[in-house]
Amino acid sequence: MIKLKGMADSVLRCVIPEELPPSGLGEAFMDVMNKGRRILPGARLILDFGARPLPEPLIGSILSDFVWPSGVHVLAWVTYDAGSQETLKRAGLPVSEPSASIPDNARSAPALVLHRSLRSGQRVEHRGDVVITGHVNGGAEVMASGNITALGRLKGLVHAGYEGNERAVVVARSMEALQVRIGGKIGSLDRGSQCWGRGVIISVADDRIQIDYWPQLKNETGWGNAD
Amino acid sequence: MASRVIVVTSGKGGVGKTTTTANVAAALAEMGSKVVAVDGDVGLRNLDVVMGLENRIVYTLVDAIDGHCRLSQAVIRDKRVDNLFMIPTAQSKTKDAVTPQQMIDVCDELRNDYEYVLIDCPAGIEAGFKNAAAGADEALVVTTPEVSAVRDADRIIGLLESMDKSPIRLIVNRIRSDMVKRGDMLGVSDVLDVLAIDLIGIVPDDEAVITSANSGVLLTSQASQASHAFRNIASRIAGVDVPFMNLDSREGIGIFGKIKTIFGF
Repeated sequence: MIKLKGMADSVLRCVIPEELPPSGLGEAFMDVMNKGRRILPGARLILDFGARPLPEPLIGSILSDFVWPSGVHVLAWVTYDAGSQETLKRAGLPVSEPSASIPDNARSAPALVLHRSLRSGQRVEHRGDVVITGHVNGGAEVMASGNITALGRLKGLVHAGYEGNERAVVVARSMEALQVRIGGKIGSLDRGSQCWGRGVIISVADDRIQIDYWPQLKNETGWGNAD
Repeated sequence: MASRVIVVTSGKGGVGKTTTTANVAAALAEMGSKVVAVDGDVGLRNLDVVMGLENRIVYTLVDAIDGHCRLSQAVIRDKRVDNLFMIPTAQSKTKDAVTPQQMIDVCDELRNDYEYVLIDCPAGIEAGFKNAAAGADEALVVTTPEVSAVRDADRIIGLLESMDKSPIRLIVNRIRSDMVKRGDMLGVSDVLDVLAIDLIGIVPDDEAVITSANSGVLLTSQASQASHAFRNIASRIAGVDVPFMNLDSREGIGIFGKIKTIFGF
């Protein structure tokens, strides 16, 4: 079932569950239109599809069967599927969360918390901080204007502070990515590095990307010195 | 009869989708179920070769979809295994020759006659994959223990999840326990750690697979570790709880294999 959630600045977030089969989307959007016919006309809406791919025919049918007849103004089409993001961009449709409701200081922007792992080919782009409670698998991408935290394994590509914020940091519980980007800087790591597979905090210092280990706790064993 | 349509897919090419489709289909048929294996790889027809049915083809899946014959006329009965059938695809067409809706219609028609419909999916994530997966309820994802294959499998699993296929289960193919022990190959647990789906089978690297595919003789007619693994997978699909084989043992190689080992052949 599709849910409508109220957000700051009178923006509505329309969450389309990934488990909803494609064949049920038309009916689900119709249900939203019927139940929300008083609030939808003129409403500013974020369509959140999660990791669902959006092939062109589906985008077309959502536009013709829901967006245009309901009179909503779609601020963003959010999907983690990288191919779909490209399709939406080619069609001139917005894919990023609206910036109007986000303060200039990215550190205070609302964080996007994903309680999931990102699989290969999935991509998250967010103005603000991003926290992934699962893994970022190889071939997945995370772009954030703020900080990025991966509580699982970080194997994919992350770009923190992608709008040029070099104060942003990347925190990973197990660092297994060959490249990390912060602001305009790119750092690379070898598999043989001492940092590989360990908890790290990655930041920009002295105009280059620097990796530090997580602070060690007294009761932790099995980790070498953090120097 | 509750029919199950299962797509066998991987993302990466050359990991053993066709071999898996052929041998799991044969093993399910040997267990008494009526099974049809469908070649979903339009333009790169291979399933008929692996199953040794190349010379029996009259009509193909695309002929049936185009209305040149009935679907039942494209079905080839395997004379060696009771209850085993195969539908070849066209070699001279491209993936555009079939649409997802046409594949859904084909699968729905096959549900009336078969307990299991196994669809051999092409490599890639484009139209061929989408067509092959369209009519399936569930999926078997085949990967080899290589980083590139695992990454592609991860991509495919994400797409299958978004297509609402369930269950999506994993087959790790061509495992070499000696290499895993030396740390030169990903282990099954490493693969599962990344892909985070249920494991349904481990197939050891076995020369018998190559000789079987080249000769069109199904593995299930032989005694080998790989054939044992494919039978186990079929049993698990059918809901039988079978323990995973110990790759260090000579499980499945049969009495002659054991004698050969003893005498050092």
